[in-house]
Amino acid sequence: MEKNWLHIFFMVFLCTASAFAQLDSIQQLPEVVLTDSKLIHFSKGYKVEKIADSIIERNALSLTEILRYNSSIYFKENGFGMVSSPSFRGTNAAQTAVIWNGININSVFTGQTDFSTVSPLNYSEISIRSGGGGVQYGSGAVGGSVHLNNGFTFQKIDTTHIGIRYGSFSTFGGNMSTTQTWGDHYLNVGVDFISSENDYSYVNKNKKNNHGQFLRFTAKVNEARRMKHGVATWNSEYSYNDRNFSGSLNTIGKDAYQDINTRNLWQLQQKIGRMDLKGSFAHLFEKYTYFPNSQKPHGTGGNAHTFMGGMQAEVLFAENIRINGKAEYTFVEAEGDNVGSNTRKTLAAVLLLNHKLSGKFTYGINFRKEFLNDFDNPFLFSADAKYKVTTNYALRMNGSKNYRVPTFNDLFWNAGGNKELQPETSYQVEVGQEFMFRKVRADVAAYYISSENLIKWVPGNGGVWQPENISNTRNYGIEAQLGYSLRLNPAHLLDFSANYSYTKAEDLETEKQLIYVPFHKIMGTLDYNFNRFSFYFQGLFNGEAFTTTDNSDIVASYSVFNLGAQYTLPANANVTFGGRLKNVFNVYYESVSYRPMPSRNFEIFLNFNI
Amino acid sequence: MKTMKKIIFMAFTALLFAACSSDDDTVETEIVPEAFAEGIFVTNEGPFNNGSGNITFISEDYSTVAQNIFRNVNGKELGNIVQSMGFTEDNAYIVVSNSHKIEIANRYSFESIDSITTGLDNPRYFVSVAGNKGYVTNWGDPIDNTDDYLAVLDLRNNTISATIPVDFGPERLLEANNKIYVAHQGGYGQNNKISVISGNSVESIITVGDVPNSMVVMGNTLYVLCGGMPDYTGTETAGSIVKVDLGTNQVMETFTFGTTEHPSSLTMDGSNLFYNLDGKVYKVSTASINLPGTAIIDGNFYTLQAKNGLLYAADAKNYASQGSLLIYDIATNQQLEEFQTGIVPGGIYFNE
Repeated sequence: MEKNWLHIFFMVFLCTASAFAQLDSIQQLPEVVLTDSKLIHFSKGYKVEKIADSIIERNALSLTEILRYNSSIYFKENGFGMVSSPSFRGTNAAQTAVIWNGININSVFTGQTDFSTVSPLNYSEISIRSGGGGVQYGSGAVGGSVHLNNGFTFQKIDTTHIGIRYGSFSTFGGNMSTTQTWGDHYLNVGVDFISSENDYSYVNKNKKNNHGQFLRFTAKVNEARRMKHGVATWNSEYSYNDRNFSGSLNTIGKDAYQDINTRNLWQLQQKIGRMDLKGSFAHLFEKYTYFPNSQKPHGTGGNAHTFMGGMQAEVLFAENIRINGKAEYTFVEAEGDNVGSNTRKTLAAVLLLNHKLSGKFTYGINFRKEFLNDFDNPFLFSADAKYKVTTNYALRMNGSKNYRVPTFNDLFWNAGGNKELQPETSYQVEVGQEFMFRKVRADVAAYYISSENLIKWVPGNGGVWQPENISNTRNYGIEAQLGYSLRLNPAHLLDFSANYSYTKAEDLETEKQLIYVPFHKIMGTLDYNFNRFSFYFQGLFNGEAFTTTDNSDIVASYSVFNLGAQYTLPANANVTFGGRLKNVFNVYYESVSYRPMPSRNFEIFLNFNI
Repeated sequence: MKTMKKIIFMAFTALLFAACSSDDDTVETEIVPEAFAEGIFVTNEGPFNNGSGNITFISEDYSTVAQNIFRNVNGKELGNIVQSMGFTEDNAYIVVSNSHKIEIANRYSFESIDSITTGLDNPRYFVSVAGNKGYVTNWGDPIDNTDDYLAVLDLRNNTISATIPVDFGPERLLEANNKIYVAHQGGYGQNNKISVISGNSVESIITVGDVPNSMVVMGNTLYVLCGGMPDYTGTETAGSIVKVDLGTNQVMETFTFGTTEHPSSLTMDGSNLFYNLDGKVYKVSTASINLPGTAIIDGNFYTLQAKNGLLYAADAKNYASQGSLLIYDIATNQQLEEFQTGIVPGGIYFNE
């Protein structure tokens, strides 16, 4: 068995690989300033990977797919387009924070983000930050965080993108966005949608996914205005999802789910002397309705408003010490059929420090303290450092205490909600090494996470399930990445990347591996660019994962391969068309037990850049 | 012990193979005793949503334990949430609630005979009458309290011959005096009725305590165990045992628990009743019901079944791993055996 997976490992390693050089013809936007500067200035000792625009474009339909094939995050997906939850370094879905322009947008009710409901399009940058980010990003940034950032610039831009897509299973998609600057104004407006019948056949099972239809519509507006000593920005997005939920291999799908999210962030930045002041106000709204039977109007649901007001000051002393102090007040008001009507207030004070000791060594120390909560107010801290040993080799280290507060469902669900719950806490350390040698890039990270008081729903007397702070876990593992690019001659470029992760996540009481945490995950992409033509081959090996807490049952390992190609018209560089073939070998696979994923399928697209 | 079990299981599987592959060899089928002729069946609900339930068989002499017998014999899964099982003289009717079907197998060989896949909507329990008729409780849409029904099955051709609309949340049912008594536990909510069915119609409705979750017949008396309204409803009520006269279908007597006591899993042996309450199994004599009776065994069991001096108790553990069946001697309250089962063991049945 051991040999078997090694074999597969090498096969994948040799045959495939990731990341990709941007096609030269696509217009390069001027460098934008991100709305969330913490990610750049106060994460030096962390691994922060930016997903290339070309990768986002080629996976424009699904954020889950982008991350599944290009990061070590493992996803459980109840069939394509269905509920998709991440496991970052073996932690659970509520311990992976999704950060939109610096704001944690995980659901008030579930503590998670369903990655199928987030459109990957029209962000300036999608980044993955590995490791604990509790100090900077609050509750839930335990295993790591996924960052969806918008930015702005006042350099001259006037671009419009239009894309249309068509794929198997009656899948239609379209996106349009425009970015304009004039004088002291920056404006970016975008809309995109995808709709799919999603009626793929289950390979070799003589069954179809008859109840997995979905529709997603997203609109985004990002605006910035330059003022005398600063900038005012507004980021806004609206998303609507309407899905029928797929059945499983032995159940007929009947239920459906609708959700609406709106997010608005207003920020005012002012430079006063050497101090950068930033005032921000945000409003998040989420609303969901669950229909046990999609044919009937009965549904249960909830909605939540989150208001955040913050003030931060950042100072750069002597060109090498950067200090950022922030106070942030959050008010959450939520009501739902099963959770009643409740509020939560939190006041957080955050202090971040980064000191660049020399050109080679930089370190950071960060603190967060919360007040007003109904539970023990956590005091969080983190420290990180990066040491460039040579120009080819760098070391990074970080350690942090992180937490996750109970969700509104955990606290107030009827029946079972437990108002006595305390936050989960977790400590972690990471050591990473980065190598750069000519065209070879490599990164190897090892981490250890110890979590206490994890909230788990357990059956109580009388058959009522209740969440309790009872579980303690230990996660450790390694993540290795390798990238290599080779220019054969001016016209031919070969780019290869591969990713391997080993994850051990065990319950300390039973000493068993946590469910739905595979030990092994390997990804790779091989890209080949020739003039206006580009071609890629992408593969994923997902090791088997246990589905029962006593490790008596598994969901099988799988390998899936995709093939893609695109071509930019020689006559008009603003028109690109292409397509891809997914699940090339038409294998049967499940990421959640009894929930088959799609058979072989294709997708074609046509993009215009005006 | 583990290796021993393994060897036995392998030997048993081999035997099964032999039994299966000799279908047309009539001589041999007569000689080889049917694989599941005498013993205990445990229906395992299986993981909710993402998997299949299954059935564990433990032979009467405890010498063989076979997991997943339906799949091992027939090469196919039972389906999602194996809720319960009922019998006729020859057949087992396995109710698979979330797959909305009933799988029919020979109760001794477990070879699949047929399945009923239409006309059932969240089926819960099955009972047969006179060998050719069956009744199945159905929730319909769990949040619609007006579409609950009993499906009447014609067991000669395994089709639904009639449906009887009933009050909401029909759950367990049994046959007595040619009538069907249906306990309306209340689905995901709460109810307090027993429907009395005669033929294809509701003859009468008996109001009992809140949440009638289990019942047994002793002589001409029906004992109904009611869990009471749980705390989270905001109107918590006490559990109770209600005695119903099967001759008049009238409530004879009601015995009430403490307000916060919510018992479940009523079963009987001899003249004693047994049930589950707050992590203990209690015993109470029908001769003089004095609640809560005597606590005899510690354990939080998902279901109980008493028979011939033994108490069979299913432990579903954390509902996300393999459970077990424990067997106790009622005379001494001592545990005799423990067998591994599938995930969420929810029903205990006997073949003899």
